[in-house]
Amino acid sequence: MTGAKTQDLAAVAAKRGRRGLALRVLAAASVLVVVVVFALFPVAVTDPTATSIAVFTLVFMVATVAWNVFSGYSGYLALGHAVFFGCGGYAVALAARDWHFKGGWDVFGLLPFAGLVAAAVAIPVGVIALRTRRHTFVVVTIAIFFIFQLAAFNLSFTGGTSGIELPLAPFTAANYNQPFYYVALAILVMTVAMSWAVRRSRFGLQLLAIRDDEDRARGLGVKTTRVKLVAFVLSAFPVGMVGGLYFYFLGQIFPQFAFDPLFDISLALMAFLGGIGTLLGPLLGALVLESLQQYLTQTFSGTGTYLIAYGVLFLAVILLLPRGVVPTIGQYLAHRRARALDPGAAREPAVRHDVAGAVR
Amino acid sequence: MSALLEVSGVSKSFGGVHALSDCGLEVGEGKIHGLIGPNGSGKTTLFNVITGYERIQQGEVRFNGMEITNAPPDRVFGLGVGRTFQLTRLFGRLSVLENMLVATQRKQGWLRGVLRRSGSVAETRRAMELLEFVGIATLAHEPASDLSYGQRKLLELASLLVADPDVLLLDEPAGGVNPTLIKHLAGRISELNASGKTFLIVEHNMEFVMNLCDQVTVLSQGTALVTGTPGVVRSNPAVLDAYLGGEDDEATQKRLAATGAGESTRPSGVSISSPIVKPAKRLGGPEPLLRIDGVVAGYGGGDILKQVSLDVPEGRITCIVGPNGAGKSTLLATVSGLLRLRRGEIRFGGQVISGLAPRQILARGIAHVPQAHSLFPDMTVRENVEMGAFTIDDRALVAQRLKAVEELYPIVRERAGEKAGSLSGGQQRLVEFARCMMLDPSLIVLDEPSMGLDPQTRRIVFEMVELMNSRGKTILLVEQNARAGLKLSSHGVVLENGIVRLAGSGREVLEHPEIGALYLGGAVASDATR
Repeated sequence: MTGAKTQDLAAVAAKRGRRGLALRVLAAASVLVVVVVFALFPVAVTDPTATSIAVFTLVFMVATVAWNVFSGYSGYLALGHAVFFGCGGYAVALAARDWHFKGGWDVFGLLPFAGLVAAAVAIPVGVIALRTRRHTFVVVTIAIFFIFQLAAFNLSFTGGTSGIELPLAPFTAANYNQPFYYVALAILVMTVAMSWAVRRSRFGLQLLAIRDDEDRARGLGVKTTRVKLVAFVLSAFPVGMVGGLYFYFLGQIFPQFAFDPLFDISLALMAFLGGIGTLLGPLLGALVLESLQQYLTQTFSGTGTYLIAYGVLFLAVILLLPRGVVPTIGQYLAHRRARALDPGAAREPAVRHDVAGAVR
Repeated sequence: MSALLEVSGVSKSFGGVHALSDCGLEVGEGKIHGLIGPNGSGKTTLFNVITGYERIQQGEVRFNGMEITNAPPDRVFGLGVGRTFQLTRLFGRLSVLENMLVATQRKQGWLRGVLRRSGSVAETRRAMELLEFVGIATLAHEPASDLSYGQRKLLELASLLVADPDVLLLDEPAGGVNPTLIKHLAGRISELNASGKTFLIVEHNMEFVMNLCDQVTVLSQGTALVTGTPGVVRSNPAVLDAYLGGEDDEATQKRLAATGAGESTRPSGVSISSPIVKPAKRLGGPEPLLRIDGVVAGYGGGDILKQVSLDVPEGRITCIVGPNGAGKSTLLATVSGLLRLRRGEIRFGGQVISGLAPRQILARGIAHVPQAHSLFPDMTVRENVEMGAFTIDDRALVAQRLKAVEELYPIVRERAGEKAGSLSGGQQRLVEFARCMMLDPSLIVLDEPSMGLDPQTRRIVFEMVELMNSRGKTILLVEQNARAGLKLSSHGVVLENGIVRLAGSGREVLEHPEIGALYLGGAVASDATR
């Protein structure tokens, strides 16, 4: 590289840097706005139907973002995260019953415990399932899920089909949903922060490398088994927490709801819709799909109309935005940025220097 | 000289094929060690064994005196042995810079890796320096999937250097890249070597190997045949035999004794810089069954076939030989329509077939038996053979063909219910032949039918090729074992570097004095004139 070329590079880098800074300020401002909107939502909207839809939506946003930390980044499609959701729910239900919780804010204190239980369950599940790859892995996670569902139906301490009652929260009927909403929002902020930290860490880079070519990642010294397991356990923790919250919100827990195959599939669908493997995609996917589904269920309850609408939406996304909403928009923005940086050579970047020219 | 990397007594087989048998190798510290040998001689398998991608039951691998036999790939890398892959493997959805950062965790605590942000200032600077060193720094922020083939090779090399390994195993670094880049690559390797890196390089480009390497090991049928300096290796008659094959034949042995007694009897001063094409004899009368005319074709950026013309006369066996990377398999792929031509024309039975879909070409009567194992391993032998006729709706015709094929290849009846994957390599070949006979093609295209087979099985396979020919099938054959292949054939063609170098009768080609020079990439000639 000659000096002039290096300067060239430095200039481009500086230009990128300035734009980068501007973008970062813009991103921070957007995050702030979104957080404020979410924080003020229950104040602005007091209709209990709407706020309970919001709680359900937040629960699914947490679970989808958490699912994405493992499946999105590593490319391993896990279809058994309801195991962690259910275990979190049962952990809170059993702990509240056996340790005589009165109901109220104290039960929220059990949520980290629910997360830990889910994470602890994820260790053996992960050790077993992660011995396999790709399609086999998907099937194994489904199989493990059904084992847990069967156990919940048949073990004595889960109460079987009659389920377990959770303590009734002593909140006023008008504001019953609000505490659940804010706790769920706090968990969501924590989960998104985790996803963001993983994405930019070296650990996250290793996960992405595993997604693209696991064998070569091993050849570059990535301890793939360990990396995958840690991501799996990290991903289970928030799902366990919202599992606890969800069943506390409902007031009771039954095996068929705790270990619901639709939950497994929903997380994958939501992540795919928004953009699997991205930070924002799963958030967006869960926000749109869960709120829409809840709304349609409430509006057309009893009929199957909501399922049809749901299906149409999903087909439309698959046809029009096969990679998901966020990556498609991201690609569009990258195109525009490249054009702005280097007019005339939109997609052909600064390549033709030195050897690079010969290399093409 | 202390051996930094030491392989001894390694054996490895896949199904019925012995990829490595009692293979040994010593790579001295600070050396550039070349590993050459014909296709299927086990070079890549040896790489896989060293770096932990293949497990072995027999043998030992030592690095720095420490045993690393069957150590997992991440550990082997952590100790300081990095490798590249024959077909470059990158993390396509990550940027070039991110690709560089994946490998940086060597010599670092693992927990720090989890907590720390990827791409600290120092790491990024180091990564950029290395990208600049190989010459692709300007591409740092592009997705790796956007790189050209040559750039991928450079990135793969650079991403290993990040972790500062002691030994670099490069699998065909010069394969499929242009001459300018090959020179550049050789320069980078020399420079790294001067700074203390040890290299083990698998490569088919003989100029590259002979100019760069301190030591060269020739692998043949899974065994290290010869190790020595480039000069010693290229003047060793056994090396040429490894490339040309034919040690199982008495007549060839005799001729070998005559021509291969030593380098002194070999014609010296032969220059192959100008093509010595002797146009295939246009036999009078009708057009040959298959006529390949001025074909140019390739993958990605470069042309592999650079104007190939040859005729395949009806009812005969035509054999294409030539060094690795000459374009033999590529030529067959253009014939069967798997690869589109860039220029030129292919005519079959007087009609143009270039441009047709593979399915249409098959329907016209050209059956292709590819080089890699192409049977469905979990299906039975009978099912595999029946698959050959799945395009035929006439059940009676299929039954009739099956009967004929069973007669020709008794193994199809004897092992009908067994899984194809459980057969030996030679048996699998016969089932592949049987499958292609189900369509009753008029031209059978065979890609390296003898690869990975022991001499006795190889002879059986060749007999079967002759048998198909005696049943009226025209055969176009690519063969690594040049002597055996040409002996079998009425017509021979030598392909080198995408160009037909020699064409004539099988015998003429077999006995041409320059064939050895063609195989060792001109190394023999240039050595003799030096």
